[in-house]
Amino acid sequence: MSSITSAPTTPDNNTAMADFSRTTSRWGQITMICGLLISVAGPLYLVFGTGLDIGPGQLWIAFAAVAATFGIIWIVEPLTYYPILGPAAMYQAFMIGNISNKLLPAALIAQTNIGAKPGSKRAELAAVVAICGAAAVHLISLAIFVGLLGSWLISVIPPSVLLVTRLYVLPTVLGAVLVQAIVSMKQPRTTVFALLVSAVVVFVLLPLVPSLAMVSTAIAVLGTILLAWFFRGKTTITEVKPIHIE
Amino acid sequence: MHQPLALQPLAPNDSTDIMAIANNPVLWICVAGVFGVIIIQSVIFMKAARTAAPSVDMSTQDIKTSFRSGAVSAIGPSLAVSLVAIALLGLFGAPAVLSRIGLIGSAAYDVSAAGIAAGSMGAKLGDASYTQSVFAVAFFAMSIGGAMWMLATLILTPVLRKGDAKIRSVNPAAMAIVPAAALIGAFSCLGLTELPKSGIHVLSFAVSAAVMGTCLLLAKKLGKSWLREWGLGISIVIGLGTAYLAVGA
Repeated sequence: MSSITSAPTTPDNNTAMADFSRTTSRWGQITMICGLLISVAGPLYLVFGTGLDIGPGQLWIAFAAVAATFGIIWIVEPLTYYPILGPAAMYQAFMIGNISNKLLPAALIAQTNIGAKPGSKRAELAAVVAICGAAAVHLISLAIFVGLLGSWLISVIPPSVLLVTRLYVLPTVLGAVLVQAIVSMKQPRTTVFALLVSAVVVFVLLPLVPSLAMVSTAIAVLGTILLAWFFRGKTTITEVKPIHIE
Repeated sequence: MHQPLALQPLAPNDSTDIMAIANNPVLWICVAGVFGVIIIQSVIFMKAARTAAPSVDMSTQDIKTSFRSGAVSAIGPSLAVSLVAIALLGLFGAPAVLSRIGLIGSAAYDVSAAGIAAGSMGAKLGDASYTQSVFAVAFFAMSIGGAMWMLATLILTPVLRKGDAKIRSVNPAAMAIVPAAALIGAFSCLGLTELPKSGIHVLSFAVSAAVMGTCLLLAKKLGKSWLREWGLGISIVIGLGTAYLAVGA
């Protein structure tokens, strides 16, 4: 795996780079904590501040159901991206999102364009600056195309189209994402297990025990992990690649 | 209207008028807040990079070139993300889509988290059981999921920076197999769950999966990586178009 940035700063006599590390890690943490709090504040206000009758128990159940599905990914993603991104860009990447399809290519192209060697300090700075550039473009295009154009579009398209969108956008997203996940992971054996386990859960288990609907995804995830682990191939895996969907 | 208390509907949480609460001004303020935090972060990081640049032989021109390269290369992916986000506006409303799918998270994780959360309340996104309460809990589930990613980053980055080799020398076989199995398992179960809902669900799912497969194949065969970026958006548009024709037929 090629490294875009140098990972930990080596203690050389470069005080300017030490300052850079200190500033980015302090402000990276502060801004990320703010981002975290603001992003959770919105839904919490909806739940508790608008008179909807939702108990904390319901939130815990929803949280547990999501954690059972994606909990492993929450930890694995930062672990596997760290060697590529380096410490400063970590705080940018995990707040801006769309890392593999947007931020990594942006950083790589910038490094190539200024001829920075992967792993060098110049490469680390170029990555951070390139991600700032990518963030600027991303914020502008979201504000214009989704915030303004999108809201206008929703107000003018016929209700029948809107209804179809609402009803069927979920299967279209999931159909495409499943294919993406299968292709990007390149683990045919695991794919077969996943489809088998999911088919059993959805078409056999759920009709028999409908009350399991709440934990069906968690069952499928656990079942797939166990099967994939116990029947894993003999080839030894030496390098850890970032887990991502293209 | 003087109904006995018991007969009054459980308003407003039984209402399916999602947009009434999805466009709540407080949510718009939160979106502005997230945008603001990212802008502030970028400004601080840019300044820090500029200050450090001379010490590593990086000229002002290099900084400019880096910024511009990053910006230009992000145009395509940003537009592709915007297309996906627009398709989800009808389901979640602009504030949730902007803060969840556009930033922080991604369509795949957030739509999944919303679906799982709705399922935990015995409801389905988009149909008659999709009430305001279901939306609020689904939005909460998406946001708390994104928050956990940030929390993991906040905890792990300082640890990794200290060069703690232990945490990265976790069994590489486990690191390769377990997360991939978790992802494929999650998405295949969520995907198959859509199928028993109706024939049109099956059709939308199949068409979208086929279009994505074609996009990825062509991207590889022709070496056109923009097909990979736009794959999700194209699949959703063609999938929804097919669903619309099928409903009308």
